[in-house]
Amino acid sequence: MAFPTTERERERRRIVIMCLPFFVLATFAGFVPLIVMARMSLSAENLENAGWSFAAWEALVTEPVYREIAWNTLWFATAATVVSVALGVVISHVLEKYSLPFENVLVAVVSFPIALPGIVVAFMAIVLLGRQGLVTNAVAVFTGSSAIDLASATSVFGLFLGYVYSLVPRATMVLRGTYAEVDTRAEEAARSLGATPFETFYHVTLPEIRPGIVAAFILTFRSALAIFGTVLILQALAVVTLRIDYEIGVGFNTQIAGAIGLVYALFLIAFTFVGLRFVSNKTVEI
Amino acid sequence: MSTVRLESIRKVYGEEVAVDGVDLEIRDGETLGIVGPSGCGKTTTLRTIAGFETPTDGRVTFDGTDVTHVPPEKRNVGLVFQSYALFETKTVRKNVTFGLKMRDVSKTERRKRADELLELLDIADLADRNPATLSGGQQQRVGLARALAIEPHVLLLDEPMTGLDAELKLRLRDEIGSLLDELDVTALYVTHDQEEAMAMCDRIAVLNDGRVEQVGTAESIYRQPTNEFVATFVGTSNLLTGVARDDRIDLGFTELADDMRTTGEVTVAARPEDFSLGGPVDATVLETTYLGQRKDLQVELPDGSTITMQVDGDADYRAGDVVGVEIDPENVQIFPTGIRERTTALL
Repeated sequence: MAFPTTERERERRRIVIMCLPFFVLATFAGFVPLIVMARMSLSAENLENAGWSFAAWEALVTEPVYREIAWNTLWFATAATVVSVALGVVISHVLEKYSLPFENVLVAVVSFPIALPGIVVAFMAIVLLGRQGLVTNAVAVFTGSSAIDLASATSVFGLFLGYVYSLVPRATMVLRGTYAEVDTRAEEAARSLGATPFETFYHVTLPEIRPGIVAAFILTFRSALAIFGTVLILQALAVVTLRIDYEIGVGFNTQIAGAIGLVYALFLIAFTFVGLRFVSNKTVEI
Repeated sequence: MSTVRLESIRKVYGEEVAVDGVDLEIRDGETLGIVGPSGCGKTTTLRTIAGFETPTDGRVTFDGTDVTHVPPEKRNVGLVFQSYALFETKTVRKNVTFGLKMRDVSKTERRKRADELLELLDIADLADRNPATLSGGQQQRVGLARALAIEPHVLLLDEPMTGLDAELKLRLRDEIGSLLDELDVTALYVTHDQEEAMAMCDRIAVLNDGRVEQVGTAESIYRQPTNEFVATFVGTSNLLTGVARDDRIDLGFTELADDMRTTGEVTVAARPEDFSLGGPVDATVLETTYLGQRKDLQVELPDGSTITMQVDGDADYRAGDVVGVEIDPENVQIFPTGIRERTTALL
């Protein structure tokens, strides 16, 4: 192979060298597993790739349980994402626009859940909202109701809080970066032109942070789809990650697991591509 | 339009005093310039009028009405920024109509007024463009149109020409100056460029360390500075040390008459144009700077002090030449050393 002689050629070589680890990782941790999953889903035999069959795909399309899981996964992840991004906008706004006492402590508190495994988040939900939970018993004392009736850790509501708790820091991280780019002078111009703080946010700030909101939505939604530990412990709703675990661990049905995994991965890739189109389109009016 | 008054405005951030007892009046229809070095309180003063800073002490009035604690959106103030601060997600026309929309002006009326202003500022053909695609000069015109659209009590311009190239700055300076006169707008023009302020403003306030050093017309500030700071900040001044006694000031190399009977050590401020060649004082040329129509000479006087003086651009002087210098006593200013304010009138 000839050595590069021009700066342009040397730059190309640097790009190739720097991107190589990513392509190796993408191939062996992404592309190859996808091919294996596709083969697995079309296998005639369980637990081994032998023969060809569309049975798993047929089951995925015809059996109502899989439609229900898909629906549960989508609405639950969407709802948790919308709430998390909305909270992320509020938190980023407060952190970026105001001078707060102990700001570093606040940032640490907000970002802390990102480091927690889903199982720990589920445990925290039980500690707070379970039958013996702090919040449950405090409300029970206050209202005179039964703590058993009030317990919500293993309900959809408890699971939802656990999801939101894990997702808010992810949304906030992306949005804080976007907020730092907002032209504060333009916001001041809007105020001087008669816009109230809310109107300024709606007409000036929101359009500017819109790409960040879309980016936060993409990241948070993908994270929401991938959450496993929390839902494994709380078991409040049948979602796709839980079902894959069930198909492999309980049913030993690797064909169905492969088919679900493939659909899941392709959906995520398509969703990311569609979402990124919105991120790059900055000239949008609200 | 309104008369804007700042009364004993003081603004403190922690231990830092940004504005220290500023009293200023922007008269109805006039353009008042604020000049001063970086950190002197120019922008804080402007932001206090806009309502983005609440003064620690003092008050702001518009036509006698106290607006000190009125939020920015209720002050009816137009703001033009150095960075343009246009709404980049809106077209030029929507930028200009924004303030009118906030005032619930009908869509037809908004469009009509925006188009009139865009026409006036010679950017009508850019109405449907995105501001990000415009040049700096065009963006600043849009910013001006947006601020004028609401017919503000006062138009506040914060270094609007900084960042533009020299030629465009000159053209825009003339255009904006004419426009402000034509529309009879009450305006505050903050700039660090004294020449810009002199060209555009009816009166100028010189700020230093959060205090107003002098307010007056461009000519009075240039010709009758009230202290050494103004003398050196506005234009170029040679500061010479002398001793006043018996109605005379001894500068070491020459004497000046002092009919104000100052005594003791004084500082004499003289502009470069107050020196001329062909005088009795022998001075040595240290350096020459060719500036087209004129040439600046750095010359060393017999007492060792150095001054800057101006000669015709075609004059042929080189470093080391000995020239005869004289000082025109008519326009020099005399400040007793150690006292900030000028105590003498013109010689």
